[in-house]
Amino acid sequence: MKPTARPALIALALAAAALTAGCGSAASSGPGPTGPVPPAGAPFLATSLVTPAGTWAIAVMGGSVSSHNNFWQLFARPAGSTIWKLVTPPGVADNGGLVAASARAGSLITGIRPSQYLTYTPLALTHDGGQAWSPTGPLDAALAATPDALAAAPGTGRLLALLTSGAVKAAAPGYTRWTTLTSQRSLAVTPAGRRCGLTGLTAVTVTPAGVPLLAGRCSRPGTAGIFAAANGTWQAAGPALPAGLDHQPATVLRLTRASHGVVALLETGSGPGASLLAAWSVGDGVRWALSPPIRLRGAKLASASFGPDGTAALVLTHGRADTITGAGAAWRSLPALPAGTATLAPGPAGGFDALAVHRTRLTVWQLGPGAAGWRATQAMNVPVQFGSSG
Amino acid sequence: MPGMRSGVNIDDPTVVAAFKAALLHQGLIALLIFALLGLAWVSVRAWAPFARNGAAEVAGTPAPVQAEPAGRQVLRVGFGLLWVFDGILQAQPKMAIGLPSQVLQPIAAASPRWVQHLVNWAGTSWSYHPMQAGASAVWIQAGIGIWMLVAARGAWSRLAGLASVGWGLVVWVFGESFGGIFAPGLTWLFGAPGAVLLYCVAGGLIALPERSWRTPRLGRLTLGGLGLFLIGMAVLQAWPGRGFWQGQLHGQPGTLAGMVQNMATTSQPHVLSAWVNAFGTFTAAHGFAVNLFAVAALTATGLAFLSGRPGLIRPALIFFTVLCLADWVLIEDFGFFGGLGTDPNSMIPFALLAAAGYLALTRVPVPEAEPAAARAPVSWRERVRPASLRQAVMTASFQSVASIGAVGIIVLGAAPMAAAQANPVADTILAQAINGSSAPLNIPAPAFSLTDQHGRTVTLASLRGKVVLLTFLDDTCTVDCPLIAQEFRAAGQMLGAQAWHVGLVAINYNPIYTQVSYIQAFDRQEGLATVPNWLFLTGTRAQLGQVWRAYGAAPAEILPAGSMIGHGDYAFVIDQKGHLRRELGFDTGPGTQATKSSFAAELTDAARQLLGRS
Repeated sequence: MKPTARPALIALALAAAALTAGCGSAASSGPGPTGPVPPAGAPFLATSLVTPAGTWAIAVMGGSVSSHNNFWQLFARPAGSTIWKLVTPPGVADNGGLVAASARAGSLITGIRPSQYLTYTPLALTHDGGQAWSPTGPLDAALAATPDALAAAPGTGRLLALLTSGAVKAAAPGYTRWTTLTSQRSLAVTPAGRRCGLTGLTAVTVTPAGVPLLAGRCSRPGTAGIFAAANGTWQAAGPALPAGLDHQPATVLRLTRASHGVVALLETGSGPGASLLAAWSVGDGVRWALSPPIRLRGAKLASASFGPDGTAALVLTHGRADTITGAGAAWRSLPALPAGTATLAPGPAGGFDALAVHRTRLTVWQLGPGAAGWRATQAMNVPVQFGSSG
Repeated sequence: MPGMRSGVNIDDPTVVAAFKAALLHQGLIALLIFALLGLAWVSVRAWAPFARNGAAEVAGTPAPVQAEPAGRQVLRVGFGLLWVFDGILQAQPKMAIGLPSQVLQPIAAASPRWVQHLVNWAGTSWSYHPMQAGASAVWIQAGIGIWMLVAARGAWSRLAGLASVGWGLVVWVFGESFGGIFAPGLTWLFGAPGAVLLYCVAGGLIALPERSWRTPRLGRLTLGGLGLFLIGMAVLQAWPGRGFWQGQLHGQPGTLAGMVQNMATTSQPHVLSAWVNAFGTFTAAHGFAVNLFAVAALTATGLAFLSGRPGLIRPALIFFTVLCLADWVLIEDFGFFGGLGTDPNSMIPFALLAAAGYLALTRVPVPEAEPAAARAPVSWRERVRPASLRQAVMTASFQSVASIGAVGIIVLGAAPMAAAQANPVADTILAQAINGSSAPLNIPAPAFSLTDQHGRTVTLASLRGKVVLLTFLDDTCTVDCPLIAQEFRAAGQMLGAQAWHVGLVAINYNPIYTQVSYIQAFDRQEGLATVPNWLFLTGTRAQLGQVWRAYGAAPAEILPAGSMIGHGDYAFVIDQKGHLRRELGFDTGPGTQATKSSFAAELTDAARQLLGRS
């Protein structure tokens, strides 16, 4: 095993030294990093979420995916703090990606997507902002490579998991006995699935009222593939697309719970003509309010994240970022993002934090409310163990 | 092509030493074969006086002595020497491990997928048993060569030709990927259609009845066929769009210049690389002229050979021989320099074939009247009568005895190869090459009391009476541990009925994911959940740490930033009385199919040794 080899020990010592030297280091207002964006080939998993314990962000760091030197990291900024900490759950190689979901009583559950010879998904739970992790589960299959592949019911803690196979599993806390809720194939043959022309599932969530929602990709134009469990069946629950977009097929890229309802991100069309729409549902996940569409104009979505109030923040390629606060509001472009920005997170005093990565270095840039530009506030070196998964 | 690499370095000292030892061992057996045959032959001739004068004298008539046709002799001696030389090249120390990855794979890389699959299958088989395969190739090729050299006439000689055809086809298909005929960039200048195909052609000609050589027809056909082939190659060389007309393409060397310059970079004496490099530079600067010359030379030679007119063929043959030699030196770079050369490529065989064709056309042996007694037909029943057989043995010629010796050498190579190919398990030497061999132990194994995948308590004492193969596995490991688990599973299968007397035991090496649910998930992942003698044990972090320490296993390291647990790879063999008997290095290294199988074989051997002693 390579980690015990001499070079690995040296790397560990250097990395530990770098961590103690770099973690929580002084803010800098110098020029932004100019390194490459996160490794090519990594799945669309970079995001952030907010729980009562604080704000969490997921980003991939390190080197190439093909040589298994990409390592996904979980960062946390405890509630009331302005400092981000590295809180990646230990004990499993996470080259396959991390998916996190808010669980009961302010805790966070993380699924570590399998990679290489591992085929099942270890789960880890933290109740203290990521300082300590308890293994739970596991999920005996590979979690889907989507940021909304895990969702916990707010009251019961019942966990939904979307698998790469398209199956949706559910388990009560403890998460060792999983039952199949449905699958893409089963859902596709329901009346709601047929109306959508469902070709894939992309997200699971649970409404504040505890209703499971599934989202996916529809081949039939004008239909947003969101499905709600009702009376033992799955009912179409997605919003109707506005005129002008209703002739295009739509994919639900994100679907997650906000403090008072559910928020979704939809993509219509494809290629340079694709557009994104945010959608909010208060309470039941059936009645929706849609944002105006935002045209991608050749850019690609790198990350989407949501604040507790439903504010959506998008990181697009070419340093572009857009945000929208809710139904009835308009999309607002943010100043050009610092190079290497992996995801945006709500800032500690409003505004946004941009988490930019360059190999093993994380730089946090802040955009205060009404500020004209990004300001580096924190930098840390992450002790990535290159070669440990090779 | 995943099966091409065994995962062991091609110059691994363990494998190289074992390969040399195998060659030495088999070489001594080969010498013994010849010595015994020679002794028997001399003894028989000494005891049976009539045997000294041969069968013809026994029959009362002097045997007619007719010279072997010159063309046939050129082929037989020339290709015999080539086979021997190829056998010597196969004895290079790096060949045993290196042939699949350094020779077969690069040659097949440009060929279509189906060719790659075929070659990959052969390379994988070789990788599983590199010692036997490497040594076999040496002895089969040396044996065919010796056979062709010593058997000048008659059935033995013709059989040697057939052996050349048979083995040549094997080498042409698997070793040369059909000579690259399905790959783009095919050119006569670089060896198309594969040197060994010419060995097959030569073998086929040698296998023909000798009467075929007693008319000019065979020479005409041989040269005609060669001429047609050369014209075809000229057309291919001249074909637009294949990059042969350009010395440079978009600032890069053209097809021919690129090939030549690549050859110059292989390791070889400086003077040779200087020649090749100079020719590469010349080709890059004058690509059109060089290709024009090649096309014209091939066309003209081909037409001359097709004409069937000796007066035209003779100067063409001289030109062709010079062309072949120039190509051999300046383009093919002698064929065997750099990397792991397996033969001197195609130009010498081409020149030999053309020369043989010319001699067959122009020097037809004069038929001689043979005495009727010598030509009297003998039925096969008479030949197999004891008296006839005894007489045949008594009057055996040196050629027959030496041919039997050569066949013995071929069998010496082929038999272990055939036996090895029937065994789907790789040699344990691959595992030993990666981790070294283990020293025998005989100390009490540290006791443990842990929980198995079913939640039951298992102690070492409860396994008394069984051989225990023990390892440490991280239940969420993404790399080595699943491979090791597969080796244990394979070892259980290889043990067959003996598996009932063997416990396959793993102890959790992950200090965080210690729950039974995780080792159950690992078992399902690895297909071990239904293996009856498999136990995956876990416990609290403290319990596990105690066992790791007791067995001298490095403590598991909790590495930061999304890394797996850092730990070593170990395997222990515990006997029926609870004594540690071996500690195996068990780093799976690259974890190829061959090494996996090799590790499993090593475990199986260790268990069987202990079961055999009980």
